[in-house]
Amino acid sequence: MENSLLSGNVVETQDLTKTFGEDIAVQSLNMQVPRGTIFGFVGPSGCGKTTTVRLLTGFYKPTSGSLSVLGKNPGDFLKTDSEKIGYLIQQFVLYPQLTVWENLNFAASFYGVGIFRRKHLHKLLDFVELRGDKHKLARDLSGGMKRRLSLAAALVHKPELLFLDEPTAGIDPILRQKFWDYFKELQAEGHSLFITTQYVGEAAFCDLVGVMYGGRLLMIETPNGLRRKAYGGDVIGIRTNENITFEHRQQLESLPFVRGKVKIVSDQEVEVIVDDAHTAVAFLLEWSQTQSLTVAMMEQKSPSFDDVFIRLIETEIEND
Amino acid sequence: MIRFIKFLIRISSFISKELKEIFRQPKLILTLVLGPFLIMFLFGLANPDQGRTLRTTFVVADPNSFQEEIDTFTKSFSSLLVSYVIESDKELALAKLAKNQTDMVIIVPDIPFETIQKNQQAEFLVYHNEIDPFQIGYIISVARIYVDEINRQFLQSVVEREQGESGSLQSDLETAIIKTQTLRQAIPTDNANTAARAAALEKDLTNLHEKLITFRSLASGVLVRPFSAKVSGLSDIQLTVIGFFAPAVIVLLLQHFSITFASLSIVRETRSGIMELFRVAPITAFETLVGKYLSYLFFEIILAGIITALAVWLLKIPILGQLQDYALAVIILLFTSLGVGFLISLISETDTQAVQYSMLLLLASIFFSGFFLDLRLMKEPIAFLAWSLPATYGIRMLKDIMLRGSSVPPLIFLGITLIGIALFMIDWLLLRKKMENQYA
Repeated sequence: MENSLLSGNVVETQDLTKTFGEDIAVQSLNMQVPRGTIFGFVGPSGCGKTTTVRLLTGFYKPTSGSLSVLGKNPGDFLKTDSEKIGYLIQQFVLYPQLTVWENLNFAASFYGVGIFRRKHLHKLLDFVELRGDKHKLARDLSGGMKRRLSLAAALVHKPELLFLDEPTAGIDPILRQKFWDYFKELQAEGHSLFITTQYVGEAAFCDLVGVMYGGRLLMIETPNGLRRKAYGGDVIGIRTNENITFEHRQQLESLPFVRGKVKIVSDQEVEVIVDDAHTAVAFLLEWSQTQSLTVAMMEQKSPSFDDVFIRLIETEIEND
Repeated sequence: MIRFIKFLIRISSFISKELKEIFRQPKLILTLVLGPFLIMFLFGLANPDQGRTLRTTFVVADPNSFQEEIDTFTKSFSSLLVSYVIESDKELALAKLAKNQTDMVIIVPDIPFETIQKNQQAEFLVYHNEIDPFQIGYIISVARIYVDEINRQFLQSVVEREQGESGSLQSDLETAIIKTQTLRQAIPTDNANTAARAAALEKDLTNLHEKLITFRSLASGVLVRPFSAKVSGLSDIQLTVIGFFAPAVIVLLLQHFSITFASLSIVRETRSGIMELFRVAPITAFETLVGKYLSYLFFEIILAGIITALAVWLLKIPILGQLQDYALAVIILLFTSLGVGFLISLISETDTQAVQYSMLLLLASIFFSGFFLDLRLMKEPIAFLAWSLPATYGIRMLKDIMLRGSSVPPLIFLGITLIGIALFMIDWLLLRKKMENQYA
C-alpha cells in the first residue's frame, strides 16, 4: 500500500469492508485505480458506490480492510493531502443565497486558494460554461447548472484526484454528454477521476470500469473487456439472403471458435459469440459459402452497456 | 507563513459567506434595526410611567351624607382614582365589579365614629376582581394609601377640634395663674413653706400654659403627620420607565439575535450536506468557528451601534458612562451569546429544534436575567442559575454604564468573559468532533 504512489495507483484497497450495524454496505473491496485514468464505478442505486467514495475520501472509517488514496490512509490525511483531492457530492450543497461567483469564491477560500485567483475562477467558469451566469443566485439555477457549479467548486483548487459521486444523475442526455467531455478534458490535463454512475451506458467513456452489485465489486475491466466478460467473447451479426435453418445454426454452434448458443434475430439474421471477431469473420464467410448462403451483412456487434450490465448481473445471480 | 496566510484565507471564506448571506436579506436587516427601536418607541408611547388609575365604587349606607367627604377625598387621589360612583347597595356594586364595570369596590363602615368610641377599629372593606399578582399588589397598596389618608384626615379633624376647644382652657389657665400669683403675694413672709408651694404651683401652671400655647400654635397637619420622607438618588438623572428598561431591552435583543443567527448557522449546514465537504476539505473546525464568530460579531456590532444610536438620539436614552466601556460590554455580550448560539446549533438536529431552544433561552432570560425581576429578590440557587445567562451580565453592565455612569464592573466582565471562552472551547470541540474525527 505504501508503495501505491510508486506503483502509479491513486487508489488501492484491500478487502475493504464497511458495515452499518448488521448491514454490509461494502464487502471485501479490492481495487487499484491507476493515475491519470477515468475510473467508472457503475452499479444500481444502493449498491455501495457512495459508501465506497466516502471511505476513499475519509468521511467513513472502514470496518475492516485497508485502503490507500494518493499513498496514504484517508484517516491520516493532513491538510496538504486534502488539498490534492476534489470531491463532488451527489446533492447540491453550496449556498442558494450566494451567486455563482460568490459560491466559487467561497469554495476557493476554504480550500486555501490564494487571493489572486480571479483569472483562474473565470477560466473555471468558462470551462463549465457558467461565466455568463456568474451573478445569478445559486437558488435560481437549473439542476444542470447547479451540477456544473458544483463541479467547478470541486475543481477550484486544481486537485490531483477527483471523486465525483453521480455527477450526471438527474440531468438530460445532452448535458450528460457535455459532462463527459469535461471529464475527458480534465483527464487530458492530468487529473485522475473516480466517477460513480448509475447510467451503465456511461461506462463506455471510462478507461476502467468497476461493476458494483449488492456491496460487492464484481469486476474491474475496460469497457470492451466488460462486453467480452458479459457475453464470453465478441458478438458477430450475420444476415443472409436465404433463411438460416435449424441445421445451419447447429453447424455454427459446432464450429470450434463459436461460444455458446446462436441467437436468432430473424429468419435471415443471427448473432454468434466468437473468441475473436477479427479472425472469426474470415472463417464465417468461408462457412457461409460452403452452406450456399449469400451474406448480406456480417459485422462485429457492440451490445449496449445496459445489456452488458444486465447480463453480468444475471450471471452473478445465477452463480450465487 | 504560508500556513498562516492559508488560515486567514480559510476563515475569510466564512466571514465573506455569512455576511453576504445576511446582507442579501434587506428585510431581515431592516427588521433587526427598526424592530427593537419601534418596540421601545411604542413602549414609551404606552406611558408606563403613570400608575394605573382605578374606577372605584364607594358603598355607603347613606350616600347623601358622605358625598362631600368622598368628593374632597378623591380630589387628593386624582392620579389613582380616575372616576368614582357612590352606591348604597353592596350587592349591586359587587355585581358591577364582576362585570368589570368598576375596578375596586370600597365598603365604607356604617357607623365609624361609634365604633372608634367603643375602642374598636372601623374597617373599610376593599374588593377587586384581579388575578394578576402585580395588580393585586397594586390595589392593596392603593387601599393602604387610602386608609392612611382617611386616618390622617380623621386625626386632623380631631386635632383641629381640640385646638379650638383648648381656647377656653387657655383663658382658664391664665386666670388661674393670676389668682395663684395673688395668693402667693398674700402669704405672710414668715410662712416660707406655704409661699414656696404657691410659687411651685404658679410655675406648673405657667409651664402648662406655655405647652398649651405650643399645642394651639402647631398646624394640625404637622401634628398628625409629624414626619415625612424625601428620597433622593445619587444620580441627578431622572429616569423614565423606558429609560430604565432600555439597556435591558438592548441586551435581550442583541443576545437573542446572536443566539438565533448562530443557532441556525451550523445546523443548516449539517442538514444541507456541505458538512461532508468540510470534512473532506482541508478546513479545520477552528478555522470554521473563528470565521463564523468574526462574521457574526462584525454584523452585530454594526447592528448594536445603529440600535444604540437610535435609542440615544431619538428616544433620549442616556449613556452616562464612557462609550468605550459600552462598546466593550456589548462586544463581550455578543461574543458569549454567539457561543450559546453555536452550542445550540451543534446539539440541534433540525432548524425547528434550534429555534425552539433559542426561544426557551429568551424566555429564561426575560424571567431570570433581572429584566423585570430584581436579582436580589431571587433565592440563592435560582440567582446562581441566572448568572449562567449572558443577558444577566449584559443587563448589569449596560445599566451600570448607561444609567449610573460607571465603568465596566470588573467581576461581572470577568464572569461573562470566562463563560464566553468556555463556550468557544466547547463549541470548538463539538464542531471538531462533527467535522474531523467523527467517522460514521
